Order: sequence, then C-alpha cells, then structure tokens
Amino acid sequence: MSAPTLDRRETAAVPDEAALQAHFDATIAADRRVEPRDWMPEAYRAGLVRQIAQHAHSEIIGMQPEGDWLLAAPSLRRKAVLLAKVQDEAGHGMYLYSAAETLGADRADLTDKLIEGRQKYSSIFNYPTLTYADCGVIGWLVDGAAICNQVPLCRSSYGPYARAMIRVCKEESFHQRQGYELLMTMMRGTDAQRAMVQDAVDRWWWPSLMMFGPPDDDSPNSAQSMAWGVKRHSNDELRQRYVDMSVPQAAALGVTLPDPELALDPETGRYRFGRIDWAEFKQVISGNGPCNAERVSRRRAARDDNAWVLEAATAYADKHAS
Amino acid sequence: MHEETVYDALDTAHGGEGQWAFGTGFDDPLAGVDTTVPDGVEPADLGAYCLMLGDDALVLCQRLTEWATRAPELEEEVAIANCGLDLLGQARLLLARAGSAGVLGRSRRHATDSIPDEDALAYFRDPDEFVHHHLVEADGGDFAQTMVRLLVASTFRLALFAQLRESRDPVLSAIAAKGVPELTYHRDHAARWVLRLGDGTSESHRRAQAGVEAVWPLLADLFTATEVETRLTAAGVAVDPAGVREEVRGVLTTVLERATLTVPAWPAERPSPGRAGEHTGELAPLLATLQGLAREHPAATW
Amino acid sequence: MSTVVTDPRDVAETVTDPELPMLTLADLGVLREVRTADDGTVVVTITPTYSGCPAMGVMRADLVHALHRAGFADVDVRTVLSPPWSTDWISEDGRRKLAEGGIAPPGHAPVRTAGPVPLSLGPTRRTASCPLCGSADTEELSEFSGTACKALRRCRTCREPFEHVKEI
Ligand SMILES: [Fe+2]
Ligand SMILES: [Fe+2]
Ligand SMILES: [Zn+2]
Repeated sequence: MSAPTLDRRETAAVPDEAALQAHFDATIAADRRVEPRDWMPEAYRAGLVRQIAQHAHSEIIGMQPEGDWLLAAPSLRRKAVLLAKVQDEAGHGMYLYSAAETLGADRADLTDKLIEGRQKYSSIFNYPTLTYADCGVIGWLVDGAAICNQVPLCRSSYGPYARAMIRVCKEESFHQRQGYELLMTMMRGTDAQRAMVQDAVDRWWWPSLMMFGPPDDDSPNSAQSMAWGVKRHSNDELRQRYVDMSVPQAAALGVTLPDPELALDPETGRYRFGRIDWAEFKQVISGNGPCNAERVSRRRAARDDNAWVLEAATAYADKHAS
Repeated sequence: MHEETVYDALDTAHGGEGQWAFGTGFDDPLAGVDTTVPDGVEPADLGAYCLMLGDDALVLCQRLTEWATRAPELEEEVAIANCGLDLLGQARLLLARAGSAGVLGRSRRHATDSIPDEDALAYFRDPDEFVHHHLVEADGGDFAQTMVRLLVASTFRLALFAQLRESRDPVLSAIAAKGVPELTYHRDHAARWVLRLGDGTSESHRRAQAGVEAVWPLLADLFTATEVETRLTAAGVAVDPAGVREEVRGVLTTVLERATLTVPAWPAERPSPGRAGEHTGELAPLLATLQGLAREHPAATW
Repeated sequence: MSTVVTDPRDVAETVTDPELPMLTLADLGVLREVRTADDGTVVVTITPTYSGCPAMGVMRADLVHALHRAGFADVDVRTVLSPPWSTDWISEDGRRKLAEGGIAPPGHAPVRTAGPVPLSLGPTRRTASCPLCGSADTEELSEFSGTACKALRRCRTCREPFEHVKEI
C-alpha cells in the first residue's frame, strides 16, 4: 500500500522541504512504497531514472543476441519460442520505459542517451551468439542471473518499478525454463549438439557472473541504493546465490562449468569459485567488448533510418487531431 | 510475491523429476487432434492445399521477422513479432495437417524420423517444392513497402480464412476460425500504417506510393484457382480465390483512397507461378537462412 | 502410488499458466476437458490461446507431471482447436486474479459472425480501469505488449503503467 500522498502540485500550502524529507525518510524506514505523485529527493529520482533506464536499455539491446537466430532457428517450435521471447523483451522494455516516465523521464530522450553512449546497458549483451546453443545458455544463465538480480527488486521502494519487476520476473523465469529445456534437448541429441552446449557454457559462464556488477568493495552507487531500498542485496551476495543455484543445474544438464576452483565449501554449504577477470569486465563495460559497436549502431540505425516513419505518424495525428 | 519462493521454485524446477526436461514428444502442434480426412476428399489434394496456405504464412513470417530488432519504434517491434508469431502458428498447424494427410514431398529423403512433419516440410523441402505466392517472398523493401505488402497479404488471407471457417475439413475449419481474429489484427494494423504513411509527410507519401507500385503487380497471382483448389472447392473443403477478389479489391481501394494514395490499374491476372513451385531468385537465399542450421544437423532434435 | 482416490480434474485444475502464473489453466479457459478413459488413461484436452502459442508443450508437460505426481500413471494430453479460445473463456475467478496481479482483465470479446470481416481504420477504443487505484481515466500506450493478448496502458490518475488483457 502506498503512503498518504503529499503532492507538490496539489497541496495548497507547500510544506517545507524538511517536512517532505522527513515524510519520505519515514516511508523508506517503514518499508512502505514511494509512489509517482509522492515527494522524493531529487537524487532518489535521478538515481531511479538511471537504474530503470539502464534496465530498459538492457531489455532492448538484449533482444539482439538471440534475435540474430530468429531467421535460422532449427525447428518451427524453437522459432516460435524465440520469437515470443524477443517479443517479451520488447514488452519489458516498453513497460520499464513507462515506469521511468512516471518519474518525469522521456523515452525518446532515454533512447538518445543510450545511442550516444551516455547511459549504459548490461554488458552481457556485448558478447556474440556463435551457435544455437547460445540461445539456450542465454535463457538458462543470462535470464537466470537477471532473475537473481531482479527478484529482490520486486521489493524496491519505488512502487511502479517494484510492480513492473514482479511481472517481468515471472516472464523471465519462463525464459529461463525454456532455455534450460533447449539445452536438455540438445544434450540428449548428437555429439555435435553436446559439444555446442559445452562450448556455449564455456563462453557465457564468466560473463554471467559479471552481471552482478563489481565486487562490493568497488561498487560506487551501491551503498546509497541499499539505504534507499532501491537495491536490496549486495552484488557479491547475489552472485553467490546465483552460483549456488547454477552448480547443481549444470550437473543435472551434464555440462562442466569452466572454473577449476569451483568447489563446495563443506562448512558454509556454499560454492567457492575462482577469481573473476575484472579487467575484461572493465573493457567490455567501457565499450570495447566484442559487439558493443554493433549493438548500439543497430539501435541508432533503427532510430535514424526510420525517423521518417515516426514523422509521418506525428504529421498524420496532427492533421486528424480535431 | 515472496522472493524466497521464487528462488525455491527455480531450484526445485530443476530437481530430480526433470520437470524442465519435457521433450520432443510434445512437439506436434496437432497432438491429439482427429486428423481423419473427410469422405470424398483426396488426401493428396488436402495436403497440397494446406502446403499452399502454410507456405504463404511461413515465408511471410520469415520476411516480417527480418524487422525484429530493427523496427521504427518499440511498439512496432512488438506488433511485428506478434504478427510473425501468429503466422508461424498458422504455418505450423497447416504443415502438420499436410503431413498428417501424407503429403511430405521429397523432404523425408533428408529428414530423419526424429524430425516432426512440420519441420521436415519447412526445413527439408527444396525451393521448387514450396508453393507460396510471389507476393510473400519478395524482398520487403522499406517500412512502407513492408506495410503495404502486409496489408495486401493479410487482406487476401483474411478473406480466404473467413470463408474457410465453413470448410468440410474440421481441422482446416478450426485453423481458419482460430486465424480470423489474428488476421483481422494484422490487416487493420497494416491498414492504419498505410493511412499514416500515405497521409503523413511528403516523404512518407512518396515511399508509400512506391510501396504500392512495387507490391501491386503481385496481386496478379492471387485469384486464379489451381486444379487442386478447384477440386477441393467443389468438395466443400477449400475456397475459390476468385471468390474473394472483389472483397480484397474493395478493402485495398478503401484504404489507399483514404490514405490519399493513387490506386494503380488492376494487374492482368495469371495462374500463380508460386503455387506451381516456380519462384524468383529471392527464395533461395531466404530458404538458405531458414534451413541452413537444420540441414547441417539432419539427425539432431531441437 | 497414492491410494487416495482423487479426481484427476482437481489435479489438472491446479496447474498454472507458464506465462501468467497467477492463473490456472482452468481460470484461463485453456483446460477444456479432463476425463478417464475405459483403460484408466486420464485424457486431458487443452486449447491454444492463439495459433502461435509456444507454451503448449510446457503446459502439456506440467499437466502430465502434476497428474503423475498425484498417482495417475497414464496421461494423454490432447489439443483441441475448436471452438477457438477467446478472452470470454477466462473465468470470473481468473478475472479477479488478473486484477489482483495488477493486470486489467478483458471486457467482452467482439462477436464474430460468418462472412467478410469489416475493416476498422480508427484506433480501437478500449477501456480499462487502473488495477492499482481503480480510476477509469486511463489511456492506451501500445496496442501490443509483451504477450500477444495484452496492451500497455497508463493511468492518468496515479500514473501507474499497467497491462490490459485485450478482449479478443
Ligand atoms: Fe526481459
Ligand atoms: Fe528474458
Ligand atoms: Zn491508477
């Protein structure tokens, strides 16, 4: 339930900033939700816009790696599954941009920021999809890691984002399930298919671990996000949870995770894993991954080459406005 | 939603009972549907007819899907995927129906038994065995041409399907009944774009008119019944395409005129070369992309 | 194996939709029939919401799995295409659960008659109340949303973006 609304625009006598801030702090402290018409500190609003936009961009850019297999999917059922998934991701993007718009942001402006490199998206999507097994591994590991990241966001302090996450997470778990099912089917297939799966796992495992962001002692925005209830668990905590969940799944599948140091710690019951190559992470995030240029340039082309379409729609709407 | 239960669900779903590992036994889109061919109908004819309607949908789906991740706006990204998915679903049902009637062409020379009929037909037929109209295989051009083609193709298909709901073949009639609301969406969606583009800016008008000029000649192939269609129409199973000509022409004229576009002269009609397996040079690359991976692994199941 | 005699229908009715897990297949109107054949096989009949629905295999697997767990060894899940599903098949319970899950339920599906389908060139005028605050003052942002059956809307009162299951 939302806290009683204090709206800047509707309150006759404007309460002073300190009272508003106190009310906001109380909302956060009581784990209640902040809603679009509530007063919120500018930094909270800006941070949320950045986080939600980055998430929306990731959904949209995330359509590309698997989208590259849409025309070549090896069975009609797989083609349908993939097309439905790509459509879901576009839906997630739309939904999240709308959530950002409740904070006063504008989708076109956010898209420009993405294309001009002023806002980021998840760097996992800067890796190429070399074989069809990549589609399965993306569903299993990438959607899986995304779920681990996003489930806690269902309790985000910002109402529209939290509610968006609930719906998005349900669809992401369906993606994960379908990805895993593809891999299961491939593992029961030919030797060539099994080799494809193992190769894809080898390429995606480490990047998927990087999806949880830098280690806690090197995570600039985390502390404030945690305090505001926008973020609920630390990067390392979530990463550990993901590893613990994935190891038995890999075993059930019959693939080897490419980490010789991976081992169950009998004391904690959790898996220890090897050192992540953060130098690579920084390379990819700063734009030097294998596909960064391609991903963004496709978005730019979609915007620029088709600008005349949107101009026409606007012109038509203006003509027929009455 | 309690987050812990979500994590639990993810964990247990992978558990010993292998709930996630449902497999290829569930592939057939017609699983459990009674596929008996009605009395007095030649199964080979019924199968051939299903291939015509199925190939139209499959090839158009492939062309539409080329827009995925490249559409002018996000709403359109979703809309195009939506239309593609509907067409793909119709194609799957129709190809499976063709297979159940025993029509598999030369596909089984390459496709192993583990490959279901729908995939044998989609992935292991050669170009000359495809029987879609040239309308759907033509390279889509820009967004205006894409929407004009979608308008024409879905207007034609919707008119056919509306009548096919009365087919004596219960499977075909059910596929048509399912397809009608889907195709209504496609047609009206495309029509609204043609309005906005035709009556938008001078550039969009120019492009829309060019799209119309490019697509219009392909109308020539749509309305002459093949022998199979003639026999099946007499048997109450198929629809004579000549019977939907006026409806199609009426809808297209209404939309183009409202869009301030010039309606070109109706092209001289001819028997469809596509229905006879004769195609343009654009089909081979389209099929190479569609079929390449499946053919590389003929013994694989996906 | 369980010795308690349960009705397979009760078991099948607990299976949820993979994409809208707040609904069971029964709520959604996708579960058409559950019967026991003479040889003891449980025959379950389901129908796709749209031709391209890629979730049919998952639904079948979930039904088989649930029935196996309840002790029914032989299960046969069949597809039926006719009469075609429309949003009118969503039960009252299903509509309530959608609204509780933040998704506006559909109104009545358009009546489809035989003969040519009339062209509709204007924007489709749909209405839906905000599932969060109940306001009727909402606008459609996109006719298509993540899944085929949903549109994206926004509440003008509380600004909540929400999905609406379109009447089809
Ligand atoms: Fe997503
Ligand atoms: Fe996803
Ligand atoms: Zn509201």
